[in-house]
Amino acid sequence: MEVQLIKIEKRNDVSRSIYFLTPVLAIFLTLFGGGIIFYILGFNPIEALKFFFITPISDLYGLSELLVKATPLCLIAIGLSFCFKSNNWNIGAEGQLIFGGIVGGGVALLFYNHDGFYVLPIIILSGAIGGMLFAMIPAILKTYFNTNEILVSLMLVYVAKLLLDYLVVGPWSNPEGFNFPETRQFSESARMPILFGGLRIHAGIFITLITVFLSWLILYKTYLGFQIKVSGLSLKTAKYAGYKGKTMIIIVFMISGACAGLAGVGEITGPIGQLHRNISPDYGFTAIIVAFLGRLNPVGIIFASLIVALTYLGAETAQIFLQVPKYTGQVFQGMILFFLLGSDYLLFFKIKFLGLKKNEL
Amino acid sequence: MNTKLKVSEISKIYPGCIANDKVSLEFGSGKIYALLGENGAGKSTLVKILSGVVKPDEGEVFLNDESIKLNSPLDAKKNNIGMVFQHFNLFETLSVFENLSIDSDKKDKELRVLVNDILKKYNFKIDLDIPVLNLSAGQKQKVEIIRCLIRNPKVLIMDEPTSVLTEQETDDLFISLKQFSKDGILIIYITHKLKEVLSLCDEVAVMRKGKVVSVSNTIDEKIESLANKMVGENLNTIKKKINNFKNSEEILKISNLNFKSDDPYETNLNNLNLSLKKGECLGIAGISGNGQNELFQILSGEIIIEGTSIMFRNKEIGKLNPRERREYLMAFSPEDRISQAAVPELKIYENVALNNFKSSNFFEKGLVNEKKIKEHSKKILSNFSVNTDNVELKSQFLSGGNLQKLIIGRELITSPELLVCFNPTWGLDVGAINYIHETLIQINEQGKSSILISTDNDELLKLSDRICVIYKGKLSKIMNADTVTAEKLGILMGGGSID
Repeated sequence: MEVQLIKIEKRNDVSRSIYFLTPVLAIFLTLFGGGIIFYILGFNPIEALKFFFITPISDLYGLSELLVKATPLCLIAIGLSFCFKSNNWNIGAEGQLIFGGIVGGGVALLFYNHDGFYVLPIIILSGAIGGMLFAMIPAILKTYFNTNEILVSLMLVYVAKLLLDYLVVGPWSNPEGFNFPETRQFSESARMPILFGGLRIHAGIFITLITVFLSWLILYKTYLGFQIKVSGLSLKTAKYAGYKGKTMIIIVFMISGACAGLAGVGEITGPIGQLHRNISPDYGFTAIIVAFLGRLNPVGIIFASLIVALTYLGAETAQIFLQVPKYTGQVFQGMILFFLLGSDYLLFFKIKFLGLKKNEL
Repeated sequence: MNTKLKVSEISKIYPGCIANDKVSLEFGSGKIYALLGENGAGKSTLVKILSGVVKPDEGEVFLNDESIKLNSPLDAKKNNIGMVFQHFNLFETLSVFENLSIDSDKKDKELRVLVNDILKKYNFKIDLDIPVLNLSAGQKQKVEIIRCLIRNPKVLIMDEPTSVLTEQETDDLFISLKQFSKDGILIIYITHKLKEVLSLCDEVAVMRKGKVVSVSNTIDEKIESLANKMVGENLNTIKKKINNFKNSEEILKISNLNFKSDDPYETNLNNLNLSLKKGECLGIAGISGNGQNELFQILSGEIIIEGTSIMFRNKEIGKLNPRERREYLMAFSPEDRISQAAVPELKIYENVALNNFKSSNFFEKGLVNEKKIKEHSKKILSNFSVNTDNVELKSQFLSGGNLQKLIIGRELITSPELLVCFNPTWGLDVGAINYIHETLIQINEQGKSSILISTDNDELLKLSDRICVIYKGKLSKIMNADTVTAEKLGILMGGGSID
């Protein structure tokens, strides 16, 4: 039997512009792949893609919805970029989002018959602290007990989900709510201000933009950012330079958790207005895709969050007009990640064919 | 059947270094051959050529007078050449038997019979059905040996096999090797340990700097004569002026340092004592892997041992991390310049910022002061004649010599009182080596001290005021450099003792 011998080699120098262009390529491949799937399902692929990606944002309401969805995605992804850049694999942002929502929501309920400008900032702050504390669990376990942060942060997502479930069904459920699993509506002072009447876009977008700017500042202009960068490239060097590895792990998890917590509190005080079982359509997980699609770069993440937000909207439109389940949105998100990883592999490695060789066995 | 193996005029040239220079050797079955040499002498390259891992640029290999092509490890196996590497290639979570059967084309039943025969014949005691991770280092090595024996090897090559073994395991290994040899297997034993050569081998070939410098019967050799051949004679030509430091101030003192590692590939350090005077260069010789890495990291603060005292300029620094030690005017140049001392993906000025000391003001109030770092980097590039003035260049584009100049420059521009460097000229060309050596002599002349951990004896004899040898995690007596000869170093490095 003859076999083709293949060798995979690392490429030495990858051009920076191509590095930022491959995500765009991945998006086009996703559109192409999506077209094929729609074709197999019996739709006209062009029409279907139009329903998916153009119709949802062809009016003002659609654009506002896009920003509503992109706001939490961008915020969480920016936080995750701190972890990922320093080789800490926090994949539990969903849990940190929910826990931030729980803490923020709890405070909002506490203030439900208070009015005043101070109510919302307190809620937002408590949400951020909630997410931060929740993210510190995997960080502390990693630094002091050598646990794997991937497993711990992932499993804590289910802890947070079940805790939320228990709260909205039990102690925090609305006394006038006919046993629906939800809390009271928050008071007006506990809600994010709406930016334009009739649209759902809210002030949370400013929190996101400020966070993006601060993150850029921290990552590229501060000593902390420099340490994160060095640790991500070479832990050996970070150790040799004397950076406090343990403290840094905890700091990046705290930043990341706070961002996820902010996203959670932004959702419940923004479009939702109360706590119930499904405060997040897996924003915390999808943000992982956003972070990598944006190359862990603050500006890149803004664009990536808009594109991935579009898959959420597209899935809803497609459900209405094409009667396909809204989970097609997740299929598209999966395809983006798949094509991104695929093109990255080819970007960083080259495959060499060494010719045919007789197989001895 | 008799086996004859011959390598003829083998040359292998790597960029900047001739690993094998027209090496010719002959081996015949029934004997155990030692291939002796320091690190970088070329013995590993030669056995990699014999096992098909590396292709020679020139020369031929003959097995029983027939020229053979060894283009891949598979070719070596086909020609019945078996090889046991220093680091094991076993799947830890698979059982012993599974590890053996992966590599074999025999049916499991046949294989088990065969393996059991081998176990019985050589009196190996290994349970075939437990996972490899439960085995000791010696047992893992036996699995590797069995893997070779299954194929009925004519030649068995052992690369530094005792480096991970206990003394008892070493004795067992020698008994087995002698038995294999009796059974007609030609054994080539690569080592730098002189005693092992004398107790195990029949013939010894010594390599130095890519060349075979001697082939002889071990009966005619002694530890001293082998050491001499291994490290080379008349090296003491260029030597620094030795100073008398009797009245100088003591700058560093470490007493009773013990280090025990959980990692079997790391070396434990035993009851280490050293002291250093102002302006002095202390050389630490040794074959690599005898604890130098661990010692360097303990000096730099990358490893911190609770309860051990390190006094530097009358201050206790044992608990401080590398950055904090720098504040006390220590500087460090690690062995791995490519991925530890600098990050290849970072720009030159970013790599300079790795040595962040308080007075540098690289980071003011937590913010990066790019201007300051760049100015400082420019100064390093010109003061230490690095072959570029572009601080934005990624350091992966610097040659080894220029990168090392940058690193030494970064460490020295703060005028540290002590520089600890580990193999600072490893892999560099002559020009860069001279530059680094001159720099190191210069700092001593300026009254600064240095610790030079090196596997290069020429370098040590040239630069040190006092020298000691590290062997299996223990330091020898510290000797004045003018009383030290290459021969003495060779004996101590090979585990022997002098007077």
